[in-house]
Amino acid sequence: MGAINIQNLVKSYADTEVLKGINLAINDGEFLILVGPSGCGKSTLMNCIAGLEEVTSGNLIIDEDNVTDLNPKDRDIAMVFQSYALYPTMTVAKNISFGLEMRKYPKDSIEHTIQEVAKLLQIEHLLQRKPSQLSGGQRQRVAMGRALARSPRVFLFDEPLSNLDAKLRVEMRTEIKKLHKRLNTTIVYVTHDQVEAMTLADRIAVMKDGYVQQFGTPYEIYNDPANRFVADFMGSPAMNFVECVVIDDKLIIESDGKSVQLNVPDGQALIKAGIDTVILGIRPEMITEPKPHGNSGYITEIPFTIDVTEPTGPDTLAFGTWNNQEVQARLSPEAGAKAAQSNQLLVQIDTSKAVLFDPHTGKRIRT
Amino acid sequence: MNNLQYQLGRSFIYSILIGFALLYLAPLYVMLITSLKDVEEIRSGNLIALPESFNFSAWAKAWSSACTGSDCQGLAPYFWNSMRIVIPAVLMSTVIGACNGYVLAQWQFKGSNFLFGALLFGCFIPFQVILLPMAKLLAVLGLANTVTGLVAVHVVYGITFTTLFFRNYYIAIPSELVRAARLDGAGFFTIFWRIFLPMSTPIFVVTVIWQFTQIWNDFLFGVVYSGPGTQPITVALNNLVNTSIGGKQYNVDMAAAIIAALPTLVVYIVAGKYFVRGLTAGAVKG
Repeated sequence: MGAINIQNLVKSYADTEVLKGINLAINDGEFLILVGPSGCGKSTLMNCIAGLEEVTSGNLIIDEDNVTDLNPKDRDIAMVFQSYALYPTMTVAKNISFGLEMRKYPKDSIEHTIQEVAKLLQIEHLLQRKPSQLSGGQRQRVAMGRALARSPRVFLFDEPLSNLDAKLRVEMRTEIKKLHKRLNTTIVYVTHDQVEAMTLADRIAVMKDGYVQQFGTPYEIYNDPANRFVADFMGSPAMNFVECVVIDDKLIIESDGKSVQLNVPDGQALIKAGIDTVILGIRPEMITEPKPHGNSGYITEIPFTIDVTEPTGPDTLAFGTWNNQEVQARLSPEAGAKAAQSNQLLVQIDTSKAVLFDPHTGKRIRT
Repeated sequence: MNNLQYQLGRSFIYSILIGFALLYLAPLYVMLITSLKDVEEIRSGNLIALPESFNFSAWAKAWSSACTGSDCQGLAPYFWNSMRIVIPAVLMSTVIGACNGYVLAQWQFKGSNFLFGALLFGCFIPFQVILLPMAKLLAVLGLANTVTGLVAVHVVYGITFTTLFFRNYYIAIPSELVRAARLDGAGFFTIFWRIFLPMSTPIFVVTVIWQFTQIWNDFLFGVVYSGPGTQPITVALNNLVNTSIGGKQYNVDMAAAIIAALPTLVVYIVAGKYFVRGLTAGAVKG
């Protein structure tokens, strides 16, 4: 139980509209990630779902109940905060049981729940400690325990991992995903980290300037972005954007004094749109050293002059220029090492997943 | 060489500090030994010499039989008057300040910052300005010359300070704590009672010391708004020193002054270490 339906939700402070009409339908048990740069309204949206901010207009429906004007405590929602917000004068056990106590659960059932939650999160040995005696990771667990104890319809996570160091963050990320698998409760999770978004989500809502730019599965968001912003924001290293001259349904790329024509899946749309330049969006992993390939018609080989290489371990990023614009390629370490010596390499461009954007509006051009 | 320089520097600093400490303690020393001498010895002897024998009769007299004006009961009744004024006034202004501070810091509403600014303004209103209107108001309310009236005046005057202390302490507490508690199902007062009060000990101590000292030491309100039976100890001390039957009894005056100062000293000694800690905690983070 925990399907959320957000209908035309608007939130404004005085004259500034922060959320400009959000529509999202989240299924029961789904893991939804709200992602976007800071100031995009993702945290405000979460606070509106929690009831900590009043909405200006629109509706918020959980299951069959319209909760738009309900108090936070009556929405059956639990939240994990970025700063954990543990009650500093209470022990871990008290922190976990506070919500149950407020809801007047019987004593023995509270005791039982504390033990159960503590076992699930492996914090049994910490129950009598105060928050100040815990490490960051332990506090994080306690904050989650507090949310879990009430077994609410919906969990909200507000950038829960951003205060942890890199290694712990990856560990906790996996743990949150496991927890979701196990509990199967709806989770709405805010982050600005697109890796977190890709790895955790069932569906992602990418937000910017108070609008949802795209709402879809991680696969859709990554491979079929709705506009240039989404394409740029999601993925690390970021997608390459190259402005190209259009001839019929083909794009012209000039590299190292040589010019090639690229076939793209959305080529027909270019003819229809009748424009002479377009932004080609192509992910670094689609520009590699030549590999054996079938004849899909989307593979083109081109010489590439390399300015800098960045070995990351599993592969090496190489920076060069096309049409006088910087481009990143993702090479195997061996090809990368060779390229670093000679500064010259023949690369293959696989345009089967290339996307096209209008140079002025940033909108997708597609068939 | 370096070590020698360091030690020279240290001893220089310490000798200055000790010198000033002695300078500040000197009046207390003189008061104390004078209160233990008899009048004869004071007149003939040296101001800073120790008494020939310790004589506590001046203390007994100051407490129970010295004359304050025409009334010769010592300071005792006025000491209890002061207690009856100070204790309720301190408690009430502290509790109200805590509630105000909690609201202004964590439950901001439209105009709450303006209200806080206006309250702050109250800290700068000199006593003299409100003297006459307050007298009129107390008369209208039927509280003129009563302990209740004095308590009310001190509570109203103290709220601005106590609110400032608590607001600055609570503003440093992340608002996510209130949000978490609201989601947990706690209401306005439950959050105050269960979450904020338990972590407020330092600021309570600061406020109590501040208010206790202010109200206990107050003279102006005490002299204006009290009646013959409700004067606080500061007023009585003044009367005692100004009443002379026969020669000036410096030993009784000194004993009376120390008695009048004793409660604030005790409060500082008992809770003083929290005072600095609490003040800086609120100020630095606020």
